[in-house]
Amino acid sequence: MRKAEIGATTALAVHSLCAAGLATGYWLSHSLYSSSLITDPAPTLRILTVCEAPVVILLFSWLRRDHDRCSFIKAVARGLIGLPIGALINAFGAIVLGAPVGLKFWPATIYWSMLLSLFTFVPAACVFGASKLDWQQILSYSKPSNIVDYMLSVPAHGAIIGAWLGAWPMPLDWERPWQEWPICVTYGAIAGHLIGMLFSPVLIFLHRRHIRTKTE
Amino acid sequence: MRMRLKAAAAVVLCLHCLGVYLFTRGFLLTRTELSAFSLPSDLLQAQAPCCSESDLPSTTDQDLPGWTPPTVDRVLILIVDALRFDFVAPSSLFETKQKWMDRLSSLQHLASTHPSSSRIFKAIADPPTTSLQRLKALTTGGLPTFIDVGNSFAAPAIHEDNWIHQLLHTGRRVVMMGDDTWTQLFPHHFNHSYPYPSFNVKDLHTVDNGVAQHLMPWLHRQDWDVLIGHFLGVDHAGHIFGVDSQPMVQKLEQINAILQNVTDIMNSQKHLENTMLIVMGDHAQTLNGDHGGGTSEEVETCLFAWMPRSLPSSISSIFHPSTCGLGLNGKNICTSTMQQLDFAVSISALLGIPFPFGSIGRVNPELYALSPGSWDRQWLPASFYEDPSSDLKTWKNNYAHVLCINSWQVKRYIDCYSATSVMGFPSDDLHYITKLYNEAQSRWSDSKNSSCKPENGTIDEFSDFLLSFATLARSAWTEFDLKLMGVGLGIFIISIIFHLFVFERVHSLSNVYDNKTQKSSNHLQIYVAFLLVAVRAVSFLSNSYILAEGRVANFLLATTAIGSIRSSLVYGKIKKHDLVFLILIILIRFGIEKGMSKQAATNSFLNYDSGSDFDLNWLPSLFEGHDFVTLLSEISPMIILFLLSFLSCKYITCTVHSRYIKWVVTVGTMLSYLFIATFWLSERSFAPKMVYVIGLSLFVLNFVLRYLGILEKGETVQRLRSLALVMVSAWSPTILILLGKQGPFAVLVCIFAGWSIISSKNKGLLDDCKMDPISVMQWSLLAICLFYQTGHWCTFDGLRYGAAFIGFDEFKVVRQAILLFVDTFGISHILPIFSLPFLVTIPNSSSSKGRDKTVIFLNLTQVYLLYGLITAITTTFTVLCVAIQRRHLMVWGLFAPKYVFDAIGLLLTDVLICVSALYYC
Repeated sequence: MRKAEIGATTALAVHSLCAAGLATGYWLSHSLYSSSLITDPAPTLRILTVCEAPVVILLFSWLRRDHDRCSFIKAVARGLIGLPIGALINAFGAIVLGAPVGLKFWPATIYWSMLLSLFTFVPAACVFGASKLDWQQILSYSKPSNIVDYMLSVPAHGAIIGAWLGAWPMPLDWERPWQEWPICVTYGAIAGHLIGMLFSPVLIFLHRRHIRTKTE
Repeated sequence: MRMRLKAAAAVVLCLHCLGVYLFTRGFLLTRTELSAFSLPSDLLQAQAPCCSESDLPSTTDQDLPGWTPPTVDRVLILIVDALRFDFVAPSSLFETKQKWMDRLSSLQHLASTHPSSSRIFKAIADPPTTSLQRLKALTTGGLPTFIDVGNSFAAPAIHEDNWIHQLLHTGRRVVMMGDDTWTQLFPHHFNHSYPYPSFNVKDLHTVDNGVAQHLMPWLHRQDWDVLIGHFLGVDHAGHIFGVDSQPMVQKLEQINAILQNVTDIMNSQKHLENTMLIVMGDHAQTLNGDHGGGTSEEVETCLFAWMPRSLPSSISSIFHPSTCGLGLNGKNICTSTMQQLDFAVSISALLGIPFPFGSIGRVNPELYALSPGSWDRQWLPASFYEDPSSDLKTWKNNYAHVLCINSWQVKRYIDCYSATSVMGFPSDDLHYITKLYNEAQSRWSDSKNSSCKPENGTIDEFSDFLLSFATLARSAWTEFDLKLMGVGLGIFIISIIFHLFVFERVHSLSNVYDNKTQKSSNHLQIYVAFLLVAVRAVSFLSNSYILAEGRVANFLLATTAIGSIRSSLVYGKIKKHDLVFLILIILIRFGIEKGMSKQAATNSFLNYDSGSDFDLNWLPSLFEGHDFVTLLSEISPMIILFLLSFLSCKYITCTVHSRYIKWVVTVGTMLSYLFIATFWLSERSFAPKMVYVIGLSLFVLNFVLRYLGILEKGETVQRLRSLALVMVSAWSPTILILLGKQGPFAVLVCIFAGWSIISSKNKGLLDDCKMDPISVMQWSLLAICLFYQTGHWCTFDGLRYGAAFIGFDEFKVVRQAILLFVDTFGISHILPIFSLPFLVTIPNSSSSKGRDKTVIFLNLTQVYLLYGLITAITTTFTVLCVAIQRRHLMVWGLFAPKYVFDAIGLLLTDVLICVSALYYC
């Protein structure tokens, strides 16, 4: 099957395409609309989401788990449905952790949670669909049998942890514009996601070698 | 085994007491009070350089009772407690005109029509801004230190030298009316006094009406020299209603009417012609009406001075006023700034009495220049004015002379203080100060000997000396005893090591008892719990995180909740209680944010834009005018109260097995809830008293029954649970009524959150009765969240003083302090610690049946030890951070109160753990 063919290089390629999507979004917002995350977070986040969404959904639909039963289109549809659901979950989590709920923050919160959904929920939705067992496995790390598991789980956890850490400067009294919600949290999430994407090929590589030594 | 917890808790308590005592001794400032008094003859005896040889006529000691000639006949001091600067200053000086501004129009009118004989000062008080400390500072001219705050509830007589004492000894007659703190400070000093009780905050009018009633007759009399009237209504209106309220405006208008009367009388009466009217605040207040700290809103009070007699020359020709603005009648009003520290010595100079021995202020030039006497040229030898070119020059000579005596007096105090006090000033600074003094003095004597006159230069040099010393004193009386602080901190660390050791012993013992060893997972949880503690502890290094402590705790609690949802997902399905917990966290969070926005209004450190973060303000406007909403806000506490009473009733009947106890506790609880409802509906004061009585008697009864062995029946788990339930039911009504209408909601949130924590622990990994470190951590975070959610925060203005008067109208120190204490620490310390046994007993009683008694007690011991350890570690970090940040700008505004709250919280936790150990084990 195809999943056996995926190696560290493929993973790296997929991740770099995702990163390229982010970079394109950032460049677009910067040059075309001359808006940056700090000055107007909501439009920038919207552009980032719009650029990142097709890349992530298409790439991970291609990596879908059950190739025989699930067509590419169906996987894309799963991803498209997963996007708002994941956004809802992320937004709820953010509010539980103390994100502001004022009306004027709504657009930024919505786009931010969409972006985080693309980092965390959508890839898994494309790959697994609604398979409960797979979801549990990816959360628990119990049996990282599959390379795609690494590709999904490490960057997603990276994004969440990055966002969590990114929230810490918010209460400080430095009075910098980037301390506003959701700017530093977005920076944290993107940084964590990128680190996770760098880290997952390494893990995959180690994992492969581990298996190889075992079989030998 | 049971002895272990008691012994360990007792040892930890002792260690913490010692540590807190030593650290407090080193950290909270102490200033040695010198008991020396200034005498009129000092100036001659000491051969002070200012008036040696021929300068003073030989008749001085008969003519002058003081060191300088009096420049006014009488002084009328009207103190308006908590007078903000913007109450008096014209509103054009501020960005927006608020409804409390421009209300004291009579003062503004005087300031604009008599610019030469009146002046508005912005008087900067030194923290702590509590009335007692301020009155002490105003009369002694010193800097009362932070530790004195504790005395504010029982005002002690002033032992230091002060100008009231000097007035008494120079035969002046002082009349006092108003706040009875004065008579407590000066029990035998007044010729006449009309004290009124000051601590009943709800009473806005008694004191003010009393002052108004006695003031006017006294103004027509002539047998007084200094009259002090102290109005309290503005302070009380601020405490109860806040500054932006109609009662405050009414109060200010009442004060204005009184002042108008006073100025009219002073203009018409001949004997008041040479009388100075001073209207001043002892401190200011925040918009919430709080004070005590060092924020600009609290320290920037006002001083208004006016003389009916006009001056030979306009004082505005000498000074550059700091700010000017248009008054109500369109004329320009200028204001200047002065230090409140200077008040004592300035008033002494005006009245011509010896300056108080411990005063370190400087005679304020603008205030001094207001008195016509300071422009007279008769009071120094005529030879001094060979060339009287102008009035201004005369005044400058006079002022230089006064400043010289002022400097000499301060220098004497410095020498005396350095010689006698345990902790003197740093020698470098002392050298510098001495150098400044010597330079100023030599210039002064040069100018006297030579023909040139003491000019501005001398004044500047003396001022420079006095101001430098005031700066030095301000920093020196924030001087810490690092050695004691270090020892205190060391004891804290030793106690933590001891705590860890005991915990580890108990932990390994319980692992021995527990055959199925899940060591690794349990260890992981301990690490996670300690990681959370560490994150929280390190956050105290920053003032911002201390201000946002509630939100930080909530953030960490939410993190643990999300983590527990994640593990729920891994091991199966999301349970109901996980989601309930998340929603509760959101509710708690809104409560904390509401509290923070309240705090932000009072605290200039806290840049918390509540409007942007939590703008549900459209909600009320949506429903405005609907009785439905008011009805709902009135009724919802009642409904929740009913729900609570139903819940507690149900649980008591389910859990407590002894029929007799069940009956007593149920009836007691029901009665308490009934009384609370009665109190809210009718405001009858007997109801809260009954609640307190029932709570106390249930608490005592529990202990009695516990030791009679009546509650011993049943299985261990069962027994422990019913003990805990009975204990919590004894306390909760009292805490509930003290918290006010938010109480039922807070307690309900507390109960449900506790239930969620208990049911979400042990994700199938552990034995049911095993201690889960994460749950204990969550419990402690929840306790912190509840503290902030119920509108408390760690500064003294965060205390809910209103709670102390629930059920009582009159003030008694001990009683009100206890109520305030229970209100502050009830829901965050007392309830969580007494309910800790639920963590080991409630889950799934079926499997815990037949458990070994020892194992359960081991687990209980672990839970208590861990809870104590978490509190101890966070407090130790607070102590460490306070020690590191002791030079921080906000040390008195933020770090010191935080330390005091945390230290008290830690000791209370230790005591409660001891009590629990006695009760449960």
